[in-house]
Amino acid sequence: MEYKVEAHRIMSISLGKIYNSRVQRGGIKLHKNLLVSLVLRSARQVYLSDYYSGACLNAQSEREGNEWDITDSEREKFPPSATECDRVESTEEPQPNEQPEKEREYRENDDEVKSDQVDCTSTLQEQNQNSSLDSVAKVSSETPPESITEPKESPSDSAVAERDSTPEANGESHQPPKPHVCSNRKRSAEESESGDSPQKRTKVASSNAKEDEEAEEMDTSNVSNLITIFGSSFSGLLSKESAKPEAEAEDSGQICCDQMLKNLNPWSTAIVAF
Amino acid sequence: MGEDGESPKINHSFLRDYVTEADVISTVEFNQTGDLLATGDKGGRVVIFQRETESKDESEELGESGEYNVYSTFQSHEPDFDYLKSLEIEEKINKIRWLPQQNAAHFLLSTNDKTIKLWKVSERDKRPEGYNLKDEEGRIKDISTVTSLRVPVLKPTDLMVEVRPRRIFANGHTYHVNSISVNSDGETYLSADDLRINMWHLDITDRSFNIVDIKPANMEDLTEVITAAEFHPQHCHLFVYSSSKGTLRLCDMRESALCDKHSKIFEEPEDPGNRSFFSEIISSVSDVKFSHSGRYLLTRDYLTVKVWDLNMEKGPVETYQVHEYLRSKLCSLYENDCIFDKFECVWNSTDSVIMTGAYNSFFRMFDRETGRGVTLEAWRESSKPRAVLRTRRIYNGGRRRRGDVGVDSLDFTKKILHMAWHPAENIIAIAATNNLYIFQDRVNAENLKT
Repeated sequence: MEYKVEAHRIMSISLGKIYNSRVQRGGIKLHKNLLVSLVLRSARQVYLSDYYSGACLNAQSEREGNEWDITDSEREKFPPSATECDRVESTEEPQPNEQPEKEREYRENDDEVKSDQVDCTSTLQEQNQNSSLDSVAKVSSETPPESITEPKESPSDSAVAERDSTPEANGESHQPPKPHVCSNRKRSAEESESGDSPQKRTKVASSNAKEDEEAEEMDTSNVSNLITIFGSSFSGLLSKESAKPEAEAEDSGQICCDQMLKNLNPWSTAIVAF
Repeated sequence: MGEDGESPKINHSFLRDYVTEADVISTVEFNQTGDLLATGDKGGRVVIFQRETESKDESEELGESGEYNVYSTFQSHEPDFDYLKSLEIEEKINKIRWLPQQNAAHFLLSTNDKTIKLWKVSERDKRPEGYNLKDEEGRIKDISTVTSLRVPVLKPTDLMVEVRPRRIFANGHTYHVNSISVNSDGETYLSADDLRINMWHLDITDRSFNIVDIKPANMEDLTEVITAAEFHPQHCHLFVYSSSKGTLRLCDMRESALCDKHSKIFEEPEDPGNRSFFSEIISSVSDVKFSHSGRYLLTRDYLTVKVWDLNMEKGPVETYQVHEYLRSKLCSLYENDCIFDKFECVWNSTDSVIMTGAYNSFFRMFDRETGRGVTLEAWRESSKPRAVLRTRRIYNGGRRRRGDVGVDSLDFTKKILHMAWHPAENIIAIAATNNLYIFQDRVNAENLKT
């Protein structure tokens, strides 16, 4: 577990650097902040995964434009694009097809802003929205955390069971146009996103306003968002920081883990710093 | 300063070591003949050194070649403030580039984060004397005192170096300018910031062409930035730019007006065995230089320098480890921000030796023919004038020899980031914080003479 301690330490240091960069003379340095945010993301991935998938994450995060693939079954449909890690995961952790469906339904459900689970789904929706879905998505360490989060997801199952999921979401059917599938989901995400977003956005927007002036000049809104997020709440972190496409693939299944981690002491000390 | 009984106990050593931030040298550049050497510092000043011409006396000392003395000093950039964005603009000189000399005057471009300026450096050693209407101090004479007319004549006077700004290229960049490069056509130059590269004409200040733009539509999708750019030394249509991901892109301006699409991309697949949290940071290229021949590229990332052949895109042809012993210390270097240091790299005049800086006032030279590298030190305590530079070694486990420096005793505040190599001779200029070291290879010069 010592790698987790290390990862956490690196994350706190990175957050400190981002914070300090805003008061440095000469304005925000885009290059340095980009590098720091990359380190932050890597550390977070390692921190939020167990050791085995952590190794896979390292191999995965090299890939450009990692897109988030929803289901294991869809992943199996496209073996050439699957990584070695994915194949290993899919063989070693056989998932019932129900679970992917549940996840999909979660992704399309974004009206329940208040529940923790929905933080994760609306995040996933936002991820869908923000990422460019032109390449086949790869799920990295989604599967291990799924087993952890399954008990949490089940209570809300019934609530969302009746929700209309797009036909393509059915894992068994082999739908050739995978990008098409993604885009459909994306559209439905966008439509339903509008309902949920105002509340979350207003919460972030108020703290955003004063800090955005400083950041807008360089359009490093992602950096400023990180700052506002850490200042406002932990859940804000998930919605905004995960807007970066590369992170999303790995984050998807781990969001529910984050909710547990929110209550851990080390996290709160990191946030208290701001 | 007041004196009191406790003062003897106060350790004043910090005063001796204290360096004014503004004096830290931030760029060094020889001109095309090597007679002039310009340095820029964090305070926005430019100091130009001139090489003293060798004595024509036949009985001169063996190996005596000209030394560099201060020629001119001027304030190039002042601290600025962008009111619209509430941004302070540092006056630090990021780069200086000389223009090829066309007449008696010298021209150089200097840039800070936002503004590029063209300076004319000229000498004046004569002045007109004998005006009719003005006296020697320039005051207007009373006409009634003028009894006769004379023609003003030029009289020799003490040499005066005048530096005047001739062009100011402002408002071209939203992000921080990291490189400028003068084109071989002698008329244009490029300036690169984190996301864009602009091409300017030296005579036109209110317009520039944008030739590369890697800004994504959504800034949250940003994955890489431009770290350095340079024109090809002979082909005026080619330029290269490096990215924070460790890739180099060669662009041909004949292909399209906007060169977002590269002609060639040079990248080396990452070694998965070396992967760590900081792999992305240490793969970021901090400097790229064309060889004098135009055939090769030299790049510097955090731990290595690499030589690339323009004809081979799949990887570098040579890789040299600068300070591999730091690989296990990346986490602490990340904490103290040293991992973000941007080292420069240079070629020698014949492209046979490459040089780059390191920590602890060390710099490294690699001989491309033998593949071997040496470590040299730029530190005034150990360098007396005309002393021979001795090679140093870093001790990192294994056998330790006398004089070796342990990895843990390296001083990371003494970093050699900026350097330049004379275009024709073996003379190097090394910037170490606020000091400039100029080393000359006398031995070889002596051999050449005989």
